[in-house]
Amino acid sequence: MDELLSDVVPQEDLERFEKKYHHELELDGEIATETKFEYAFCLVRSRYTNDIRKGILLLEELARTHPEGRRDYIYYLAFGNARIKEYTSGLKYCTAFLDIESNDQVRSLQAHSPANLDRPRYPAAPLYGSLALPLSCAVPSSLHEVSAALWSAERSLD
Amino acid sequence: MSKVRSVVNKLHERIDYFIEKCPNMTAAPYNYNYIFKYIIIGDMGVGKSCLLHQFTEKKFMANCPHTIGVEFGTRIIEVDDKKIKLQIWDTAGQERFRAVTRSYYRGAAGALMVYDITRRSTYNHLSSWLTDTRNLTNPSTVIFLIGNKSDLESTREVTYEEAKEFADENGLMFLEASAMTGQNVEEAFLETARKIYQNIQEGRLDLNASESGVQHRPSQPSRTSLSSEATGVKDQCSC
Repeated sequence: MDELLSDVVPQEDLERFEKKYHHELELDGEIATETKFEYAFCLVRSRYTNDIRKGILLLEELARTHPEGRRDYIYYLAFGNARIKEYTSGLKYCTAFLDIESNDQVRSLQAHSPANLDRPRYPAAPLYGSLALPLSCAVPSSLHEVSAALWSAERSLD
Repeated sequence: MSKVRSVVNKLHERIDYFIEKCPNMTAAPYNYNYIFKYIIIGDMGVGKSCLLHQFTEKKFMANCPHTIGVEFGTRIIEVDDKKIKLQIWDTAGQERFRAVTRSYYRGAAGALMVYDITRRSTYNHLSSWLTDTRNLTNPSTVIFLIGNKSDLESTREVTYEEAKEFADENGLMFLEASAMTGQNVEEAFLETARKIYQNIQEGRLDLNASESGVQHRPSQPSRTSLSSEATGVKDQCSC
């Protein structure tokens, strides 16, 4: 886990996906989920805290708007938070994930965070403050479970 | 007992990590002579993570979930009396990670390219994986083709001969293996290392090149004794 957390995205990759993101934004004011995710994936692996925070915001947005990919977003939300030592938030994402799926990747991320934590100096932002999940009948039941876990994660973060 | 072993391994990894990151802060020497970087690539569900798990833990991981992004594993092996630490980056096979995991190819000394012998589509996609590998690694990178799930003979869709021909045409090393039984798993990882080591010996791989995927470390014996102590504990245990 140390290697994964300390691995830094190559600058040229970050710049390439950043360019793609801004290009789409300028072109039609809308960004494809894929582009957003690729950029966020690079940002949370940046050496700079501000980039990681930006990546976390993008991932939170993706988790709200694209339920199919939520498993990936929650993992990288936990990962990004661990990289900036926001362990409390990170651990909550790990717990939310593990409530739904047993997963060694998440467990090692969870195990990596210090067990006894002081709360961070400033509270974590209410991550899903405006979250209203549209749960149509077509959504498979496992997604309902994901949503339920997210809701409980949100409540505990507030 | 395996739990104890796993904890000891984890401690070793952690210690190695800090030694690598802060070589001047500690007098402890390395317990290996080289570091080789590997990547594992291939379609989703071909068993990349299971191969890695079988190699590092000597266990089959049933019900393995899809890898998210990238996973990492290490193991120290021996080639020609030299200790080599393998640092293995196991990439997600899902299409959505394809573009972003390309950054892990850079500086890989070995690439394990995996397909599933029971799913022809995973074999058909090999040329695309190979193109990525050739474009993103250096010419001396050793590419090893693995036909996984060789235990599932009854549902085989790709013959050994066909894959062997593909491997020969493209200058790849090749084995069929089974992450479930462990058959040929060790061999695939070790043969890749032997080939890389051979390339170093024959001067085909420049150790000073930044993206060779190989780091040379001076070796001293004291850390090795820690390893043998750990092994000793295991051997004396009656469980």
